[in-house]
Amino acid sequence: MSELVTAHDGRSLMPGAKSLENREYNLFIGPNHPGIEGNFALKLTLEGDTIVKAKTEAGFLHRGFEKLMEERLFIQNIAIVCRICVPDPDPNEENYARAIEVLADIEVPRRAQFIRVLVLELSRLASHLFTFGGHAGTIGLYTMPNWSISDRDRVLDLFEELTGGRVYHIYNMPGGVRRDFPDGFASRVRDVLEYIEGRLPDYDNLFFNNKILHKRAIGIGVLPPDRAMEWGTTGPNLRAAGFAHDVRKDDPYEVYDELDFEIPTLTDSDAYSRLMIRRKELVQTIGIIRQVLDKIPEGPVWNKQPNPLKWRVPAGDVYVRSESSKGEYAYYMVSDGGVRPYRVHVRGASVTHGVHILENMLVGTRIEDASQLMFSLDACPPEVDR
Amino acid sequence: MSAQNSTAQTADPRVRQPEAVVGLSRSEEDIIKVLWDVTGNDAFSLKAPRRIEGVVDSDKLHDFAFLIWSRVGFQHLSAISCVDWLAEGEFELIYHFWSYRDSCLVSAKTRISRDSALIATVSDIWQPASFFERDVHEMFGVVFEGNSDLEKYILTDWDGPPPMRKDFVTRDFAHNHFHFRDYEPDWDELVKGGYHSNRGEGGTDV
Repeated sequence: MSELVTAHDGRSLMPGAKSLENREYNLFIGPNHPGIEGNFALKLTLEGDTIVKAKTEAGFLHRGFEKLMEERLFIQNIAIVCRICVPDPDPNEENYARAIEVLADIEVPRRAQFIRVLVLELSRLASHLFTFGGHAGTIGLYTMPNWSISDRDRVLDLFEELTGGRVYHIYNMPGGVRRDFPDGFASRVRDVLEYIEGRLPDYDNLFFNNKILHKRAIGIGVLPPDRAMEWGTTGPNLRAAGFAHDVRKDDPYEVYDELDFEIPTLTDSDAYSRLMIRRKELVQTIGIIRQVLDKIPEGPVWNKQPNPLKWRVPAGDVYVRSESSKGEYAYYMVSDGGVRPYRVHVRGASVTHGVHILENMLVGTRIEDASQLMFSLDACPPEVDR
Repeated sequence: MSAQNSTAQTADPRVRQPEAVVGLSRSEEDIIKVLWDVTGNDAFSLKAPRRIEGVVDSDKLHDFAFLIWSRVGFQHLSAISCVDWLAEGEFELIYHFWSYRDSCLVSAKTRISRDSALIATVSDIWQPASFFERDVHEMFGVVFEGNSDLEKYILTDWDGPPPMRKDFVTRDFAHNHFHFRDYEPDWDELVKGGYHSNRGEGGTDV
């Protein structure tokens, strides 16, 4: 040890390292996110380049949404909930609206249910494209973010046309959606789908078949399949471990049970599998959106509700679940019969992925993989903070 | 080597696979019956399709959770929600269990007194519960006995009462703890002489 840390003249190069016990050191990453999804910090204990202990630290995006929602009218909260997950906001809106619909026994027109599925899947598409770019960025492949995020912009253009907002849509209302398709919207959606489908071979050549990605991601950050359920894994990360579970199939909502799609699974459960499972899901998502456009019936899009400023939701509680691009999303809502929710609890997909699983998975990996693994789990810090 | 590895893994007490994970899925009525048989609790009933709900005593909750995990086959703890019922002087904790086999959610509700908010942890059964409980502890002040990691997470520098409690009034806390600043600039003064009069030579802000 002493030869390693002293220079030729006997001067110590590591004055703190007097014994083997002092080989460990702490490194703080963050609170700026090593990727692009939000502020989050990692407190790593390292030995050389190997992580021996990892602790996460959140709270940089805490805006007290759950408390704020108790102070506001039911209708006002629709503009809050979408902010809980920036890359994939629509599961929040849909869950919140559906919770009120269950409590107040509001019927949603069929056309609105189809439009909701369309919006949810477009959001999933945008979120997965975002993840591809983010993951590539963490391992130094900087062309992919430019491509996938500019392609994501085409989806955001569709959102802007349909809802008026690019990132936050505030579009799902209790009783339906805010407005119907503009003229010619369906054909423009098909154009974008065709464009993104045509881009996938390019993505494969650039990124998914890239030797650098294979070297960096295959066999890295294995989430042991026999621990996956124990650690509370959900969504694509669980499917990359070989379990074919998807809330859209297991606990169907809106019109997912009428649509034909597969749940792709992989078994390797490493960073590469978790990326490829999203690549496979993208194809399914494109198929779902096409089916929605084929099957969508005519009719109203909103079951008109009385004055939204005086809504009283009957007393009761409900737990609604949905599948976001990151995993299981759930809202627990309690109403005491008043004009404001008594309690709204948001269970984001990242509360397990971003904290417990990440802390366990990072142990034994190397420091240069930390940000990649965080992105391969698709952990979204605002879901943890709320 | 691989055989040794697999023996070592099964010997590891943490890799316990719950029973009844595989098999045909059961109907909600069957699950209610199994819950009654296994836990002796007949308070569970069907609330909606794929949703079962019931009440559990707080001192029996850990046993109930262990049985529902090991004998009934609910492998996934979806969330732990907490509701502050101020008028009744109670916290209500709702444990949402999901069964992948049956595609069914069981919500077990339990109530504890606000004055001595103490309940046994379930993080020995589901590891992620450790974080769920830490979150509830931070926001409501409920103590989970047996959970060694109840440190502050989101509100690191917070020294006020647990903020999600209903008797914590955000507006009063802000008035008592923060200095009020009148943030109304004198616009007439600012725009006098045009925008560029506020800028120094070379275009930098004064």
